Parts: sequence; structure tokens; C-alpha cells
Amino acid sequence: MSDRSSAHFLVLLAGLLIFPAAARPAEPLPAAAKKPPTVINPPPTAQDWADLAKLPDWSGVWNPKVTDQDAQAKTNPPPWNEKAAAQAAKMAAEEKAGRPPPIFVNCLPEAMPSWMLVTHNAMEILFTPGRVTMLGESDGNRLRRIYTDGRSHPEEELTFHGHSIGHWEGDMLVVDTVNVLPQSYIAISEAIGVPNNGDMRITERIHLAAPDILHDDLEIVAPKILTAPWKTTRIFFRQRARKFDIIEGVCLQGNYSERVDESGDHVFVEIERHPWGNIVAPKR
Amino acid sequence: MRRFATLGLCALMGLASGSRFVAAHHSTTMFDHAKTMTIRGVVLELRWVNPHVSLLVKGVVDGEQTEQEDWLMEMTSPGNLVRAGGWSRNAVKAGDRVVVEFSPLRDTSSRGGALKKITLVETGQTFTANLRAQEMPGLE
Repeated sequence: MSDRSSAHFLVLLAGLLIFPAAARPAEPLPAAAKKPPTVINPPPTAQDWADLAKLPDWSGVWNPKVTDQDAQAKTNPPPWNEKAAAQAAKMAAEEKAGRPPPIFVNCLPEAMPSWMLVTHNAMEILFTPGRVTMLGESDGNRLRRIYTDGRSHPEEELTFHGHSIGHWEGDMLVVDTVNVLPQSYIAISEAIGVPNNGDMRITERIHLAAPDILHDDLEIVAPKILTAPWKTTRIFFRQRARKFDIIEGVCLQGNYSERVDESGDHVFVEIERHPWGNIVAPKR
Repeated sequence: MRRFATLGLCALMGLASGSRFVAAHHSTTMFDHAKTMTIRGVVLELRWVNPHVSLLVKGVVDGEQTEQEDWLMEMTSPGNLVRAGGWSRNAVKAGDRVVVEFSPLRDTSSRGGALKKITLVETGQTFTANLRAQEMPGLE
């Protein structure tokens, strides 16, 4: 045996002493350690597409009834707990005094449930096999997916819009949403809202109340800030004129002006904003 | 010259690098909606962007001043203006002579307001900006 071969043998021997399992044939892993099977989203069948035609027609563009949002801020406030009520009251006073609390000025999504509660922008609702998708005009064309393929909620993975699963009860879509980020507000206006602080659950019953009027009946359970479930209905109007199609809505674009720089390049230049959200106006 | 013009407009629009404040959806109670003022002048720039359209106009405010000054007007989103006020992206453009009715900022040290109605002097066309004036289906 050459010196080189001897060295290889010694290395192999040392390896076997340190890692004896390497000398044994591979054993099957215990069942618990097996990789779970990959869940597949099966390709839609012709029947899946045909079934969509049996659903109610929610096509078009839906704009919210903002006057009802305004009214409910006074007539149907959430059953805030004592701490949240004090926060909401202080924010309302600030807004009334012309110092609106800037709860949404950071361009993060209004999130659930505030998107449905206080949005001023229109949305589209798309049906495809296994899911309903809501597309809003703002916040980078905000997006909600409501899975209707029978899946359950995943382990906690918190997001702005949470995890939504839905099923149809006749012409009504019933949606259950959990796993919303605790920072997401329950808002009653663009200036009054309290973070849900976790463990929130939202049930929605979405249906046509008239041929071109959509209702979202919400029940919000938020044990960290509400003393009881809060029920509220939000109203949306259908538009079909093509000029009302929702357009790209990139919230952060509002913070920039389009300019041509000294090189002749088209660029965005940041605008100075007031903390309340409005653009800083010229001084008198 | 182009650079000069760009920088001049930047100053008028309050452009700044490194601004720490950003803006998205905001309440409008910083404007005094109980008041209405009128400015007559020329459009310098229309920013047709979400979530708030803005308009820079140079003109004279009725009963307030005699010299031309720049005023910044804010509005709701493009989509809301199209539905609620009859606007389009090109409805109003730089150089148009206009009459603008607006609610001024409560902070009277700044020349800003919430646009309520704009009239194009050349054509008499008017566009409004009441977010809540679109609450019915089937608008045309």
C-alpha cells in the first residue's frame, strides 16, 4: 500500500468511527419525517369553467357608497373596548379640528377589514375556478384572494388582507378571513381607526341587494379591541361604462412629480408632504 | 432653460428630496370646507395620479390679492373624478385659462385648497370633484 493509499484508508476509517451511520445501508425515514406530499392546484376542467357561469354576475366596476361610510361612523360605531374607544374619540376630535390622524398616509394597504369598510376607490371582482379575486384601484392595485376550492386556513401566516376562504350559499358568497396582521386597523374613516392587535376574525356575506348594488355584510370579531362582534354592511354601486374601468393605482406614485432632468431623462421627483398627507402648498 | 423651468416648477410644487413624509389616503379636514374661494388664472400643471390628483394654478384670488400667485389644489383620485366630476386625463391641461372654486387650507399661511369646481374659460366646460357625487349604479 502506497503512502497515498494509506492516507486515504486512514481518512475513511476515521470517518466511519465519527459517522458510523455512513457504514450502514440507508434505512427508511420514520413516517413523521417524511416530506409531505405536494398539494397540487389541479388544472381547471371544462366543467369548472362552465360552473362559473352559474354564479351571479358580479362583473363591472364597483364604487363604494362613501356617504354611508360617513353615516355609520356616527350611527353604527364598533363596540370598542374602553381603551380603543378613548383612542377613537381622540382621533375623531383631531380630525374635526382639522388635524386628521394620518393612519393611511404611509401607502401601506388599508388592509382587512378597512379596505371593505372605508375605501374611497372602486374595485373589480373576478371569478376563476377555485377562487374569487378582488382588485382595487389603489395601493398598487390592492388584491384579495378568496379561495373557494375547499381548502382550510393554513397555519398562522399573517398578512395585510389575511387568509380568506369562501363558499357559495345560493347567490351569496360567505367568506371567512383570519391571519390578518395585528397592525391592520379597524377603521371607520380615513382618519379614525384602531389596530386590531391580533386574533381578529371577519365573516362576510357578499350578495347583490339589487341588480346593480352589492352588499358586504361584515361581522368582525376582534377580542383585543372590541367588546362584542361588530356587524356592519358596506354598499357598492355597479358601473359598466368603459371609461370607468379601474386604472393602475400605485399609491406611492402620488408622492412624486414627473420631471425631465438635466440629462433629458424622464424621472420622478419626490414631493414634500405634510404629515397629514396633503402636499405642502406654496407659502403666502 | 429647460432645467431652469423644471427647477422652478419643482419649487412651486414643493418638491424636495429626502422628504420624510409620504402620503396616501388621507382625510381632507385640513381644508376648511365651510369656506369657498375663487381663483382666476392659468393651469401650470395637472398631476393625474392616484391616490390624489393635484393642480397647480397661477392666478388672482377674488377679493384676496391683486398680484398673480401660485396655488396648489388637491382632489380625490382619478377614478373618482371621472365618475363623479366628468373629468378625463386630458380634461384640463397646462396653459388652460381657468376659474377654480376651492376650500382653502385652514392654515392660511399656505396657498392651498381642495378643488370644488373648475371652469375652462375658453369653452365654459366645468368639472367638479365631489367624491360623494357618484353614488348610484349605471353612471354614464
